[in-house]
Amino acid sequence: MSLTTFLAELDGLIQELEKDLDKASSISQLEEVRIRYLSRKGRLAEVMKGLPKLAPEERPEAGRKANEIKEKLSSLWEAKKRFFEQKEKEERLRDFDPTLPGRIPPVGTLHPITLVIEEVSAIFTSLGFEVVLGPEVETDFYNFEALNIPPEHPARDMQDSLYITDKTLLRTHTSPLQVRTMLAKKPPVAAIAPGKVYRRDSDLTHSPMFHQIEGFLVDKKVTMADLRGTLTLFLHRVFGSETRVRFRPSFFPFTEPSAEVDISCVMCGGKGKVAGKTCRVCKETGWVEILGCGMIDPAVFKMVNYDPEEYSGFAFGLGVERIAMLKYSIGDLRIFFDNNLRFLKQFV
Amino acid sequence: MLLSLNWLKDFVPFAGDVEDLAHRLTMVGLEVEEIASPFAYLETVVVGKVVECKPHPKSDHLSLCKVDVGTEVLPIVCGAPNVAQDQLVPVALIGTTLPSGLTIKKAKLRGELSVGMICSAQELELGEDSSGIWVLNQEFSNLKVGDNLIDALGLDRYVLDIGITPNRADCLSVLGLAREVAVLYSLPLQLPCVEVKESTEEIDYEIEIKAPEDCYLYQARLLTDCTLKESPAWLRFRLLTSGIRPINNIVDVTNYVMLELGQPLHSFDRKLLAGKKIQVDLAREGQEFTTLDGKKRKLLRSDLLIWDAEKPVALAGVMGGENSEINENSTEVLLECAVFNPVTIRKTARRLGLSSESSYRFERGIDQLLSPFALERATHLLQQLTQARVLRGVARKETKPYKERIITFRSGKVSELLGIEISEEFCSKTLESLGCGLQPGAEKWLVTPPSYRQDLEREVDLIEEVGRIYGLDRIPATLPKVSKSLKVEKEDWFQFLSKIKHWAKGVGLNEAINYSFVAEETLDLLQKEDKEQRVYILNPLSEEQNVLRTNLLAGILNTVRVNFGRENRDLRLFEVAKTFFLDKEQETLCREEHRLALLLTGSREGNFWPYSADKKVDYLDLKGLVEHLAQVFGCQDLEFRLVENKDFYLKPWVKVFQQGEEIGFLGLVEEEIADRFEANQELWYADLNLEKIFACYQQKRYSFQELPKFPGTTRDITLVCPLSLKLVEVLEVISELKVALLEEVRVIDIFYPQGKAEKNVTLRLFYRSKDKSLKDKEVNKIHDKIGKTLLDKLDVRFP
Repeated sequence: MSLTTFLAELDGLIQELEKDLDKASSISQLEEVRIRYLSRKGRLAEVMKGLPKLAPEERPEAGRKANEIKEKLSSLWEAKKRFFEQKEKEERLRDFDPTLPGRIPPVGTLHPITLVIEEVSAIFTSLGFEVVLGPEVETDFYNFEALNIPPEHPARDMQDSLYITDKTLLRTHTSPLQVRTMLAKKPPVAAIAPGKVYRRDSDLTHSPMFHQIEGFLVDKKVTMADLRGTLTLFLHRVFGSETRVRFRPSFFPFTEPSAEVDISCVMCGGKGKVAGKTCRVCKETGWVEILGCGMIDPAVFKMVNYDPEEYSGFAFGLGVERIAMLKYSIGDLRIFFDNNLRFLKQFV
Repeated sequence: MLLSLNWLKDFVPFAGDVEDLAHRLTMVGLEVEEIASPFAYLETVVVGKVVECKPHPKSDHLSLCKVDVGTEVLPIVCGAPNVAQDQLVPVALIGTTLPSGLTIKKAKLRGELSVGMICSAQELELGEDSSGIWVLNQEFSNLKVGDNLIDALGLDRYVLDIGITPNRADCLSVLGLAREVAVLYSLPLQLPCVEVKESTEEIDYEIEIKAPEDCYLYQARLLTDCTLKESPAWLRFRLLTSGIRPINNIVDVTNYVMLELGQPLHSFDRKLLAGKKIQVDLAREGQEFTTLDGKKRKLLRSDLLIWDAEKPVALAGVMGGENSEINENSTEVLLECAVFNPVTIRKTARRLGLSSESSYRFERGIDQLLSPFALERATHLLQQLTQARVLRGVARKETKPYKERIITFRSGKVSELLGIEISEEFCSKTLESLGCGLQPGAEKWLVTPPSYRQDLEREVDLIEEVGRIYGLDRIPATLPKVSKSLKVEKEDWFQFLSKIKHWAKGVGLNEAINYSFVAEETLDLLQKEDKEQRVYILNPLSEEQNVLRTNLLAGILNTVRVNFGRENRDLRLFEVAKTFFLDKEQETLCREEHRLALLLTGSREGNFWPYSADKKVDYLDLKGLVEHLAQVFGCQDLEFRLVENKDFYLKPWVKVFQQGEEIGFLGLVEEEIADRFEANQELWYADLNLEKIFACYQQKRYSFQELPKFPGTTRDITLVCPLSLKLVEVLEVISELKVALLEEVRVIDIFYPQGKAEKNVTLRLFYRSKDKSLKDKEVNKIHDKIGKTLLDKLDVRFP
């Protein structure tokens, strides 16, 4: 074999490879091309078998050329491979489905009652109130007598109780915490007391267990205007600053004067109608009852050895379920303690 | 309290708008819960005149009438036997819906057109008579054809339903509410007529009050020659409007005066009373007495009775006796008007479940000074309605006369408490308008509240009155200064509980809140051992709620049942709540323990792609949560010990200890128990004592540890162990060696070879030195030593 033929054969390989590379349409075909040309039994190796047959002085040039061609072949092949890889990458990107369901870790929730208690507590702690908790089984003394509700007082009708013994009962309100806190501390005192309370009452609008938050403040020169200001601020935070607040005289044995607080209806904004129909929340009155409050009765101060001439204070009590129902548009009281997951999971 | 507007107008010349009245009453503390129109259905019932009445050609009991209703003459087919020409009758026009629910439509009755319906008194719920149509001209005069019945019969268009708070006993009457309206609208108050024509014969009854603490005043009038009959329409209507059923003229008058003046009265049939003596005395212990509802009542020594010369005749203030009740033969009436101790009446009424309009008023307090007036008012009405002869004089005994209270009042205190400037002039004007006597002084006034305002006892009560009339809603909003001491409070319990809840939320648990009470049956099912410790409710609403929870699972199982019933079978729940145990040491006789419950059941991650529904939660999921909680809240050195107890509701039951102290437990709810709550799958439950965790949490401090400077290295070791060998035994052997360079040991695999009663546990040991890179040789030496010790001390081998 002459050098010329050998070199021509080598050169020819390039054209052949290019042709085959053009034809290759997949990575596997490309691999076949590599084997056909660049493997130990490939076309290049076959041509190289002619090298020993050349004259010794021709061999260095032939060898150099052979290396050149080998590199050329390899780089052509590599280029094609990169092309395929790039294409594949692009295809993968094109087919990526961002809409598949994700692996969501389990989503925890707090009960709406907790949400309200925490929101209210946060507002009052920011005003300087502390949060106090107390026993759910109470003595008649803390639950009634110390709150100016002696035995056989008609005001006991307002709260039908679940008794444990004739002297202990499930607390009917969070107000005992007023007495407990005031007995433990000297004024000034500012605290709120959230928790479970119990009444012997069960129907569509009453649950035998529900939640209240008691709040109270005792200091020198506390006025009913302070009470109004505190509650207005609180109600604006919870229901929005456009909410109107109304004070209406009422009666609680442990406050004097006492008031019910109404807010403009959260459903109809106080208009009494929703889309021309009677508002189901306020029954067209435009107002909804939200809490009871008043100035702490001197009789309560006497029970805790505070001097009513020196100190005055206010107290209020609100129903947590009531607030949750208004705030989250919940129509049915009983749903709170069913703990249906479909209900709980709405409060993410 | 239902207030008839027409009745109110007897007392005050109120001519305003009912909405305004309702609003003003509400804003002075007399909450109008509803403006009712109880007779609205009578708007289209009119006075008609029967101008023609002839028999129906195809019926022997129907009549064909032509009825003039003012605007037109209607053909009406009427089935009443008493219909006749020239009668004035109530005609329900087309479209009227009667109280029975019947809506009047144009109809053909046996071929004859009927446009409207002639009604009976009973059909209109204005009387008892249903025997025939209501012939109005027999009972009423000045009727005008075409007028609707509300106007024609003088019925109320509006009735206010007013919620009266317990302190306002004075407002449990038309008079009391009229007083308030008079103040609100500056109207004069007019009292009703009490004129009585007495006969010359004198009442010869003796009153003896043997229980002076229970009866303050007893008065009686004697009336003879009474004609018992139905009350006139105006009286019946007023009672109906106020929610009381008319009975006969004598009983009706006592009810009428009670509603009007707030003083309950009782009428005895005098002929059924023995002797000429009334005694007020307590019952004998265990004595039986039949009240006029026919029920035999067993009495206690604390119940007050009215006796004639021989026997009890009434349960004082609560209900009359069957033996002396007014009946169709009654002609002589002994009319009682008394004032009893509110507490006595309340105790009896409550114990016997006999709350009546009468006991309700006695419990709240009667205006003793008005009582004689009420007696005269009732006597007057009885004389008018029954044509009775009234014997001269009143039999009367008063053991505790009304005592005026004098209250010191400082007008400056009003603004001090209310936070708004209110003038002295307004204070004095208001207090006077409310009936208080006033004796002004320089700094202090002496105020004498009227006898009907027993709730006014102290200065603060008067301040409230001033504020109430001024308008509490006019008080401005200011913010108080909340003075705090510099003493820094530690983190409080509430914040801690909140952190626990947020932790639980963060690890994907859903908060449940269950009732604190459960059925005793449920506690029995779970655990019998705690029986003596349980806290029972004396008067439960139902057997389902008769005992307080001694464990949280008892409540959570209800949540499980609710959810399984609604196809929610994958639950990750938590609850923070108290358990309750009897404890004589506590002042409440009850120990309350705040606990955290966790419950896992169903699919671990989710039922759908990319998760798999057959991966269910197991012990390790639950234990992992407990360990996570422990880490976050600073509990160290946890130990999990298997407890053997056949009677416990968990199996396996694993107790959790932290530094030797039990902080809770966890395990699998017994299948039988789960089944009872319709949960036929594994329920993994943990229950932790939050006070114990709080104690750890308070100790928790962050303390920085130097980060490692040199690389570590690991070696694995696989041990073939008997199935009974607990992992902790392996770890203890290693830790007892106290290898300084051993940083951590982790399980990397546990493999159970098929067909063999053993397990292959592979551990990875992490070695590191604080001050150099470890050499292989060094590590190998230590590692081999560990391996050898394990083989020595435990029943294990290398594979």
